[in-house]
Amino acid sequence: MSDESSRLEGPLPPAALDDPHLQPLARHPERAQAIAAVAMVVGFLGFIGFGIAYWVTSNSQWQAITLGVGLLALGFGVIAWGKYLMPQGPFVEERHDFHSSEAERDAMTAAITERGGMVVKRRKLLGGLFLLGSTAMGIVLLFPLLRSLGPKPAKDEAATGPTDTSLFDTNWKKGAQLVTVDGREVFADDLEVGGVLTVFPKGFEGSSPDQVILIRLAELGPNDPPYPIAAPGRTEWGVQGYVAYSKLCTHLGCPVGLYQELTQQLVCPCHQSIFNVNSGAIPEFGPAPRPLPQLPITVDSSGLMKANGSFDQAVGPGFWERP
Amino acid sequence: MQIGIRSILKARVMAPAALVGAVGLTGLLAFTPAAAQADSTTTTLPALTTTATTGAPVSAVTSAPSATGALKYDSAANQKGFFYVSLPKAFVAPGQALFAANCSTCHGAQALGTNRAPNLQGLGAGTVDFWVSTGRMPLADSSVQATRKPPRFNRLQTLELAAWVQSLTPGVGVQIPVVNTNHADLEAGNTLFTLNCAACHTITGAGDALMDGAYAPSLHLATPQQVVEAIRSGPGNMPHFGPGNITNTEARDIAAYVDGVIQHPSNPGGFGLGGIGPVGEGFVGLLLGVGILMLVCFWIGDRT
Amino acid sequence: MIDKTIDKSLRWVDDRLGVAKGGRTFLDKIFPDHWSFMLGEIALYSFVVLLATGVFVSLYYVPSAHEIIYHGSYLPLRGQRVSEAYASSVGLSFDVKSGLLMRQAHHWAADIFLGSIAVHMARVFFTGAFRKPRELNWIVGVSMLILGIVNGFLGYSLPDDLVSGTGIRIAYSIIESIPVVGSYLALFVFGGNYPGNGVIIPRFFLLHVLIVPLLIMGLLGAHLGLLVKQKHTQFKGKGKTEHNVVGSPMFPTFMAKTTGFLFMTTAVIFLLGGFAQINPIWQFGQYEPFQISYAVQPDWYMGWLDGALRVMPSWEFVGFGHTIPLEVFLPAVIFPGLIFNILLVWPFIESRHTKDLAYHNLLDRPRDRPKRTAAGAAMLMLLGMTFFASSTDVMANFFALPLKSVLWFFRFAMVISPIVAYFVTYKICNEMRAAEGIGKRKRAVIIERSSTGSYSTVETEPRPGDGHEELEAIPVPAFIDMVPPELATGEGVRRVMR
Repeated sequence: MSDESSRLEGPLPPAALDDPHLQPLARHPERAQAIAAVAMVVGFLGFIGFGIAYWVTSNSQWQAITLGVGLLALGFGVIAWGKYLMPQGPFVEERHDFHSSEAERDAMTAAITERGGMVVKRRKLLGGLFLLGSTAMGIVLLFPLLRSLGPKPAKDEAATGPTDTSLFDTNWKKGAQLVTVDGREVFADDLEVGGVLTVFPKGFEGSSPDQVILIRLAELGPNDPPYPIAAPGRTEWGVQGYVAYSKLCTHLGCPVGLYQELTQQLVCPCHQSIFNVNSGAIPEFGPAPRPLPQLPITVDSSGLMKANGSFDQAVGPGFWERP
Repeated sequence: MQIGIRSILKARVMAPAALVGAVGLTGLLAFTPAAAQADSTTTTLPALTTTATTGAPVSAVTSAPSATGALKYDSAANQKGFFYVSLPKAFVAPGQALFAANCSTCHGAQALGTNRAPNLQGLGAGTVDFWVSTGRMPLADSSVQATRKPPRFNRLQTLELAAWVQSLTPGVGVQIPVVNTNHADLEAGNTLFTLNCAACHTITGAGDALMDGAYAPSLHLATPQQVVEAIRSGPGNMPHFGPGNITNTEARDIAAYVDGVIQHPSNPGGFGLGGIGPVGEGFVGLLLGVGILMLVCFWIGDRT
Repeated sequence: MIDKTIDKSLRWVDDRLGVAKGGRTFLDKIFPDHWSFMLGEIALYSFVVLLATGVFVSLYYVPSAHEIIYHGSYLPLRGQRVSEAYASSVGLSFDVKSGLLMRQAHHWAADIFLGSIAVHMARVFFTGAFRKPRELNWIVGVSMLILGIVNGFLGYSLPDDLVSGTGIRIAYSIIESIPVVGSYLALFVFGGNYPGNGVIIPRFFLLHVLIVPLLIMGLLGAHLGLLVKQKHTQFKGKGKTEHNVVGSPMFPTFMAKTTGFLFMTTAVIFLLGGFAQINPIWQFGQYEPFQISYAVQPDWYMGWLDGALRVMPSWEFVGFGHTIPLEVFLPAVIFPGLIFNILLVWPFIESRHTKDLAYHNLLDRPRDRPKRTAAGAAMLMLLGMTFFASSTDVMANFFALPLKSVLWFFRFAMVISPIVAYFVTYKICNEMRAAEGIGKRKRAVIIERSSTGSYSTVETEPRPGDGHEELEAIPVPAFIDMVPPELATGEGVRRVMR
């Protein structure tokens, strides 16, 4: 280290025992020692206590109080020793310039530039080839590091591949039966007005992109006109008073499970985006940018609820490939 | 110069320590409302933890048998879990008197509603029981959402009111449920509560704010009967969960979960900090944790 | 004799390693005594506790998303299908002796670790300790802050519970929002479209227990090494110059104080771990991507991101066949990127602005640099506002205010309050500099009336500890004359007690 050169330049005289710098800070050192000693004894007892507590109980509170008191007291004792009973100082130490001398710095620069100039600059071909090889190595080693991690997204909008890579597809198709997470089929009579239910396509219960929230807005029968949804092209979608929306919030994908019945709003619990259920789940407030995609549903002759098509767009939050 | 430990401790550490300790402890205690509202009536609640290594038989998760139709209110299957009772006819007359004296000003003499209050006909005895037994009705302040408060009427009077309103539309609306949680499936209640209730009431039942001044209330004072009544009647902004959505057995399980777990949570780790999660934890960690350690630094080091 | 034993042992080691010179320099190292220089130690020791409790906890945690039936002692979960990660975390809390204490201590230690980094960083910032030659150490420190935040998020996501799983879902969507490469990155990291094929838990585990801690430990070594090499800064004062350090020596004083402080930090963490429940995952349940709880916030050090996501208006750019979800990308990627980058390069921003390239080993009082202090206050105000904005729903419920009003308040407050904070702080700094004797405790003044009716004042003695006279600092003596002076036999001869 650069410090030692100045440290023992000559024999330093020994400090006297009664030097004020070496005296403890405490006005009554004996009292301070007694206090520190008591603290350390308490600490010792605390640890013994923890030892007993561990065997005798599983209660976290007993374990914590014994361990905590032990540590606190022992720590207090050691700190008191250090602060009040050890040489009070103050002591000083010299700082030295961080940087090396000019001569050293020049030599360092020269070592690189001049020897380098002889070897590297004159043999440009070799240097360049080494650089080329190393760069290639660096780039291709990234491939297994990144690409092997997972599958590529299937970006094609019309892709019908598995939903674990498709950005656009879900498992909802025309005729898919609505079931609860337990696999129970959903009938048109099941929900009362103001009722909500989380549903999935049959065979895909619990699948994240397929989660749909089913809400009954009106008690309409099979022969009644559908509930009017104030969104273009969907006036026929409110079959028997039901609406079904993707439960994935278009902000960040949280399940929009909070239905405020009196105001007919879906509220996302994560960041409080509000979707108006009456008009196609258009966001009315909060950070969500797009309405929740609506699932067209229908009721068959036996009262079973089925999907009448798939979602017309990707569900969930936005991403680059989304048109 | 030498300094005595005691004067330092007294002068420099006590005052700021007391301040930080007070603020931190206030934060701790402010977030423990459940502790203050702990249910003092002891019922035979199942213990939440057990040291038994062989417990109840494991119920494998199977799908419920598929029904060929919705569960009607009066179907036999609907009498499992809990059952509904009809109130005695003798309750109707006193109920009418009570209603006329206390409720008709806003709800109208025949409970048909006015511009101040909604129509109660067709809502059923269970709905009325919920609102009155939780003290929400009579309403204290019509400009804000009704809050739970000590009920104005005793149990008999509440049931008489309910009986009268029910008598206006016999057989229609939510009936009075009689809920026995002793053989409930806590695990099923857990699953159902998480799926259906946590999104508004939070996973610990602490409640939270909704839009436009509404709020989902805390569940820490709800009785099992009130839980079932709320599930069926969907008070205020709460959705209506009919028997086709949440069966009687499932509603009973949810009520048992609220009663047993939400209201008596297992807090082996210490103070529950109000059950609102990282917000309370952050306050305690920063104010108490870092704060106390900063005070220790203050003691150890110099202050010039 | 103990002295002889120590002497022989040291010589044995020095014969092989030559450490006597360096060792003595190390023992004589001077640490300035100001209390605010110990804040970094809170972070250091809570990191030590994190490592120790982390080892314990990882002996029981199973990093797998594979589903099993829960058979442990927490009844409301019995029979439920849960992941092994969740089951092992609940099992650690209920069925392992001291498991809950260790798990909670680990989590509290993480909160305290990051909290103490924040106050330590604030101290370094407001006193200008990051200036030449310590810019590198500042960068190392900010890097540790970033890694600490990341590791905290990874750590509390490991139990696969409902609350942290929601955070993972949000993280996926944030990655996905990055233009051009977002969907690729998201599917790579998660092993598929959300929730992926179960790899995220084991990957988080590896990052959390191995990769990030190794990085932090390496940076910590550099941080402490730089501190030893460049020596600690100090405030101006009697005998303190740019070319010395005044304080306590490493041995025995500083070692005693810092060891005691390690114990006290550990004590506070374990007391919290036993008495203040944190992250009660059994109450939250297993994460399912179609379930959610209300009043869900991330841990406090991620709160500023959540707040930024809440207040951001719903601006999404859609055009040319592509979507850039600005309502996610701006608050969750650009905003923290800007903040961290500003933090990282702050020493250079400041040195370019002040044109100050001199060495600085003496610290500023914050009031002496009003612009820097005001800028720091503005940054703290901005981060504080975004932090509070993450609990809009809890605040609306607690204070019985409409949710929309609370949110609009924060939208404005985030922009206005840093500006206000800047000007107010600037003013306060200047006023403090102008005021005489500010910050020093006033001495009592006794007013006496003489028998002739005139008044006179007498200043009392300073209180103990006030303006105490510091001795002139001396170098650490290598040798101490152990014979008491009354038994001395001569001058200039080293006398040793035998």
